[in-house]
Amino acid sequence: MSVQVPPRRIVSLAPALTEMLYALGVEERLVGVTDYCDYPPEALKKPKIGGAVNPNLEQIVALQPDLVLAQALTLNRRETVDALERLGLAVYATSSQTVEGVLESTRHVGEVTGSGERGEQLVTQLRERLSQLKQRLAGRAQRRVLFVVWHEPLISAGRNTFLTDALRLAGAESVVETSQDWPRLSLEEVVRQQPEFLVFASAHAEGVERTLAELKDRPGWRDLKAVRQHRVAIVSDAINRPAPRLVDAIEQLARQLHPTAFEEKSATQNSSAMADEIRSVATRTQL
Amino acid sequence: MKRLTFRRVLWTCAVLVVVLLGAVVLALKLGAVPISVTDLVLSLGRVAIGRSAELPSQFQVIVFGLRLPRIILAIFVGAALSVAGAGFQALLRNPLADPYVLGVSSGAALGAILSLILAPEIPLVTPAAAFAGAALTITAVYFLGRREGQLDGSTLLLGGIITASFLSAVIMFLMTTLAGRDLRGMAFWLMGDLSTPLPEELRWVFGVGLAVGISAIYSTAADLNLLLGGENEAIHLGVDVRRVKLVVYLAASVLTGLAVSVSGAIGYVGLLVPHAMRWLVGSDYRVLIPASALGGAIAVVLADTLARTIAAPTELPVGAMTALAGAPVFIYLLRRRMR
Repeated sequence: MSVQVPPRRIVSLAPALTEMLYALGVEERLVGVTDYCDYPPEALKKPKIGGAVNPNLEQIVALQPDLVLAQALTLNRRETVDALERLGLAVYATSSQTVEGVLESTRHVGEVTGSGERGEQLVTQLRERLSQLKQRLAGRAQRRVLFVVWHEPLISAGRNTFLTDALRLAGAESVVETSQDWPRLSLEEVVRQQPEFLVFASAHAEGVERTLAELKDRPGWRDLKAVRQHRVAIVSDAINRPAPRLVDAIEQLARQLHPTAFEEKSATQNSSAMADEIRSVATRTQL
Repeated sequence: MKRLTFRRVLWTCAVLVVVLLGAVVLALKLGAVPISVTDLVLSLGRVAIGRSAELPSQFQVIVFGLRLPRIILAIFVGAALSVAGAGFQALLRNPLADPYVLGVSSGAALGAILSLILAPEIPLVTPAAAFAGAALTITAVYFLGRREGQLDGSTLLLGGIITASFLSAVIMFLMTTLAGRDLRGMAFWLMGDLSTPLPEELRWVFGVGLAVGISAIYSTAADLNLLLGGENEAIHLGVDVRRVKLVVYLAASVLTGLAVSVSGAIGYVGLLVPHAMRWLVGSDYRVLIPASALGGAIAVVLADTLARTIAAPTELPVGAMTALAGAPVFIYLLRRRMR
């Protein structure tokens, strides 16, 4: 797709795309968002076009957009994109299954919205931060983690999601190895795997703590070392969205999983994994 | 029962057609984007005199590009489901029968979900696969439902119910083990949803299928009336019961399959509308079938208008609306009949 003139009226069909547009500084031209676009908070004030899976087509048409952004494959339905194109609207669809893919989408969205330069800068900065993080984590063993998407029933993320890729960049590897995107797991398999850390994504740490307090006496959960020793990382829910803030979430997670890697002096090179663990528990208690 | 005259059938249909037109105008007017009555009347007038090119483009897209195709789909689906429901209720001699009781919708849903997993990129594959799933289910249930060489109401019902629950189990299995990105719209599909307009290529197929199905059931109307008095009595009165059952079974199944393949399983319409129409126009199938077709169209057009506007701009699935409105109406009719 080629957009000759920068679009002046943009509709976003996904929370991640809305975030991306704000990060690219084109929010003035954003005229419609979904019911779920809650970041940044100003996005809540934009005109709504309904849900992401079932957007209101006539509302989109009424906003007279010259560009509609969709998150194909992972959120918006193909029928929606087809219907909008049949109505003669320009639709640009992104889809990313890796962190690199998210960065590329950011760059592309920058290009199609006429803020290519800002997009390049943003992506360069994000890449820089990721490579610094990679250096910090160099030589450290990957933490074996269980990413808890939902605890009852237990749902985690499969290997083809950008989320699992984000875990890798944060110095973690998922104990789940499946091509399903959002697999339902058996707790006994998790007990067998004994992940070093449980990772939760939430905007409210207290909520997760409450959940954990409930889970810790339940069979299965109480047999997890990570639960008994409270080795839990709570990251911002930005880790669930293929948008630039994903890099913030990756850094946040890396700090919790590998706290010693972030100490100013590298004198603590001799710190063992044991020390790492103690500190991470300490960090958690402070939260 | 009042004697049924051709005149009365015509009058009943005329009244229902007027109500349907009213519902259509209402559905054209209401939506997330406000449109004034004046604008609507003016634009309808322009279209009527063949000067639709003068319409403001945005207006044209919303009213004629989005709302009208959706209303047409609602009319087709509503008519198909209600007539199928009336047919199944007569065939199974069970007032609780609805178009989905024999598993046609589960078969269609399974076809749709398989197409989404295996070949989502082929155009029109989902409605085609849904219809294929429905057709296979119809055939399988037909063989399960035969006894001594002909369809037997209770055997058919049991065969259909067990097929439906088996297929639902397969769907659940597929949804939990293969759950991925493309299945996101599946929930809407299972609940019934009219937001995807009928593709133009399919409009004729659908229209012809609907006409043939309804006419086929209508052609048996007089025999269905006699069947109300019992199967043996009907045989003595010269009804070819075996043929009537086969025609009604096939036509009602095809109507259901067509409806499900383009809109998912919209509940309650096929159960409720025939009952409401029996109460309004009597149980003579010669008037009940056309009345059900029109009544079903009215019900779905109104339900979808509610679904589009009640939480606008958020759209609710029309199936949620028909269930919300349908259950209380059903209870009302039930209580009334007992009094």
